Amino acid sequence: MKTSRLLTVALGLAGLVAATPALSAEHVVSQKNKAFSIKKLTVKTGDSVKFVNDDSFAHNVFSLSPAKSFDLGSFGNGGAKSVTFDKAGKIEVECAVHPDMRLDIEVTP
Amino acid sequence: MRPSIVGCIHAAALAAGLLLGAASQAQAPVDPRAPQGALLPKDSAEAATFRGGLVYANYCVTCHGFNADGNGRAARLYNPKPANLRTSDKNDAYYGLIIRKGGSAVARSEFMPAWDAELTNEQIGDLVSYLRSINASKP
Repeated sequence: MKTSRLLTVALGLAGLVAATPALSAEHVVSQKNKAFSIKKLTVKTGDSVKFVNDDSFAHNVFSLSPAKSFDLGSFGNGGAKSVTFDKAGKIEVECAVHPDMRLDIEVTP
Repeated sequence: MRPSIVGCIHAAALAAGLLLGAASQAQAPVDPRAPQGALLPKDSAEAATFRGGLVYANYCVTCHGFNADGNGRAARLYNPKPANLRTSDKNDAYYGLIIRKGGSAVARSEFMPAWDAELTNEQIGDLVSYLRSINASKP
């Protein structure tokens, strides 16, 4: 009786683990000296990217890519904003205030 | 037949040579240090407008568009759309304020960034001159 109850609980737990999607990751990209800290980044679908402003002035991160269009608005020194990438594709990230800033993100399935 | 063709070619070559020679004599020697073309006086309104157009093309065109009508490539992200700067009824002081401090400072779109940390006072003044030059209402 006790064994079968334990077995039921174990099976239930196993089912829960199998049904839980893989944990998404958070990637951090800094903005410093009018540049993104990296030029290219590969993430998985469901991952998020946290943009942290380490400059003394504001940045305005945005993207017009079909796979993910967004505008994080302006945020100053120490500010941070995150974007979750829920669709596979290639994303070009820009800064509205600094036209030379560019980051390419590849979101894999 | 053939001699006449050769003669024509010789005559044409001679004429071309004469023309080239005359042209080279007519041109004054080029001073490599001299400015190319007419320059606008730096302090003129026309020069400010010209410089402001360059500032606009570099920083503003993404949202406000090449025609400054609010139809830049990023315009689809925003509601309300970026302002149509050709029909704006705002004066120069307002332009200066919203450019320096951003849309939030004047209760407009929070997506209009503050440019005071990126543009110099001269660039902002030039940009205002350019915006005034393309504005149809000219308040």
